Formats: sequence, structure tokens, C-alpha cells
Amino acid sequence: MRGAVLNLMGVAAIGLLGLNHDSFTSAREEGFFYIPLAGVAAIAILASLVCSIAYLRTRNLRFDSAAVAATEAGLAFLAAAIVNGCCLTAYASGRFWSWDSALTSALVCWLLYAAYLMLRQSVDEITQRATYAAVWSIFAFLDIPLAVGAMSWWKPGVHIPTSWTLPRVVNLGALLLVAIVFAVVRMRQEELRRDIDSLRRSAQ
Amino acid sequence: MRFARQVWVVAFKDLRAELRTKEAINSSLAFALVILLMFSYAFDPLADTTREMSGGLLWIVFAFAGTLVLNRSFARELPNDCLDGLIAAPVSGAALFLGKALANFLLVLAVQMVSLPVFGIFYNVPWTRQLPELLLVMVLGTWGLTIVGTVSSALTVNIRLRELMLPMLTYPIMFPALLGAMQLTAHLVGGNPIDEDHYGWLKMMIGFDVIYTGVSMVLVETILVG
Repeated sequence: MRGAVLNLMGVAAIGLLGLNHDSFTSAREEGFFYIPLAGVAAIAILASLVCSIAYLRTRNLRFDSAAVAATEAGLAFLAAAIVNGCCLTAYASGRFWSWDSALTSALVCWLLYAAYLMLRQSVDEITQRATYAAVWSIFAFLDIPLAVGAMSWWKPGVHIPTSWTLPRVVNLGALLLVAIVFAVVRMRQEELRRDIDSLRRSAQ
Repeated sequence: MRFARQVWVVAFKDLRAELRTKEAINSSLAFALVILLMFSYAFDPLADTTREMSGGLLWIVFAFAGTLVLNRSFARELPNDCLDGLIAAPVSGAALFLGKALANFLLVLAVQMVSLPVFGIFYNVPWTRQLPELLLVMVLGTWGLTIVGTVSSALTVNIRLRELMLPMLTYPIMFPALLGAMQLTAHLVGGNPIDEDHYGWLKMMIGFDVIYTGVSMVLVETILVG
């Protein structure tokens, strides 16, 4: 049942992208992928924050799995947005990286959440890992508005489109479906891993 | 009142332990001097452009050297299970955290007070021209660094790769405050007072300090007790 729903979501994503085909081929739609990718990353990071707070309140490890799944999906989409943004910057200014405020703050956010994953990796005990990661998720989220504000003061120039148009919104829907599929698969994987870990521990 | 006394007791204990062993402050000072020397290989130390970059260079030194002090903050409590004793003591997590942060703040500030004149001499930077404002920026930046660093130190105390993880956690979070401190320091070292354009940075640094001090005090109990 789960597989069928995930497959359907994938088909729906392809359908939505197909609807947008005309604007994809038009050179005017430069932000076709970049803006929706960044939007999906923002939604994923917000979901990660909500799951982290829910974990700290309930201590239910399912929320921890959901938080890590959302963060990983968000990081993947943010990385794609940064690479796509670099290509757009190269198209506009001839350089791949021109310390654009939007892209640089995206990179800072990426590093913040990469540190989240590294922190998880280096803690062995399951509940301790979940607690530390949840605390870090709150810290990292609070930094985002400050980092974005600081970047826009430091280097106000933006070389890439940042506004929302209808094709971009439709694309956000399509990519969000893909992100949800990623996150659900990853969450299932994380839960299985936790089960295997506890089995291994009880066997020892 | 009781809370303030507890904070002071923890801070005083940390300062006394550090002043007796001098393990963190000595290595931090030596490291700061090594970085200050290494910058001179990268560019002409007496060129005028160095003065424009001085804010950035100085804060890179402070951030790198500060991490060495912060790394020891909770790690110092590991031998003889001192950390468990501290957590079990009738002191709130917030008081323990604030005490440790205060001790770290004073130690990092001491390292900075030594490396700032050395930097001025090495690179011919007239850092005394706006001294009170420069000190304010240093206090705000250092408080941000020590608050975030002390939380990271508590998070990393029991994990593998502790020495590597602390800077990985601290520097990205510090990005807005460090950027503000670098901009303001470069401006002040150039002999200009803080003007309308730069008040925003000062406000952001104060905001950063207030937000992270508040959130850390709320969450530190969760980190320490689990």
C-alpha cells in the first residue's frame, strides 16, 4: 500500500512537471528549478524543526526519524538549489560564484544542517543522539533569519530571479511530492536501522 | 540572588582550575600568535590594504584561538566523573551553563587582550583610535562566541571526534555575529566611529547574543540530563 501511494506521488510529480513544459523550454523562465528547489528545502527544514520540537516534548523516536528524514531531503534539495543558482549566476554574470546574498545564505544554511548530520553520526547512543540532534535543529533554525539578514546587508546584490510566478509554484508542488517520497523512504530506513541496532544490542 | 551566586561559584571554580593548570589559555595564546605570524606569509604585512582586512583577520584569530579554550570547558570535567557530580549538584543547568560561559568569556577575552596589541604591532594597525567602541564590539562578539561555543562544548563532550565537531558546530552558527564583528572592527580600526550605517550590525550582534543566551539557558538542561 505504501509503495503504491509513493508510486502515485511520483507519477503526479511527473504530471505536474509536464504541465510546466512550455515554460521550461522558454529561456525567460530562468528560475524554473532554482526557486522551487529552495522553497522545498525551506519547507523540509521547517518540518524538521517541528519534528525536533515534537521529539523533545514527547520523546517518541518516530519524530526523530521524521526530523532526520526531512533534514536530509531538505539538504539534498538545498544542494541542488545552490548548484542550479551557480549555473544561473554564471549565465548572468560570467562567474559561478559572485557572493550573491541569496546563494551565500543558502550555503550557510546548508553548512548548519550538514553539521546536524555530522553531530548525529558521532553520537552512538540512540536517545542521546535524538536529543542532541533536536536541540541542534532548534539552534540552526534560529540562525537562518540572522544569517539571511546579515548576508543581505553585507552583499545586497542579487543576480538571480527570486520572485514566485505560476509555473514556479506548480513546480514547487511537483518537487514537494518528490521530497515527500524521499523523506518517507528515508524515515522507514531510519526506523529499520534503529530496530536492527536494538536487536543487535539485545543479542550481545 | 541565589542563582547569581551559583553562577559565580561555577565560574570561579573553572577560572581557578584553568589558572592552576593553564592548559587551555597557554595553548590558545600560542596558537593565536602562530596564526598572526602565518598571515604575514599570505600577504604584505605592511601594505595599506591590510588595514582594510584587519577586522576579518583579527576575528579569524579570535575564533580559532577561542575554540581551544571552549574545547576544554566541559572536557575538563570528564576525568574522575566530575561532570556527573556537577549535574547531580543542587545547581540548575542554566546556572551551571552560565557559570561555564562566564569563565570561558573571561579566558577568551584575556587571550584577545594579548593578541590585539600584538596584531597592532605586527601589522602596523592603529587599533587604539576608537578603543571604547572597539572594546564594546569585542565584548559582544566574544559573548556570542562563548555562548555558542559552550553549548557546542556541552553537546560534544561525550562524542567521538570532539575536537573536530566543536568548530564544525560553532563557526556556521556564528556566521552573522562574526560577520558583524568583522565589519565593525574593520570600520573602527580605520579610525571611524560607529555611524548610522553600522548601527544595524551592532543591533544584530546584541540580538544574536540575547537570542542564543536565552535559548541556551532553556535547552541546556535537556542537553546535560538528556
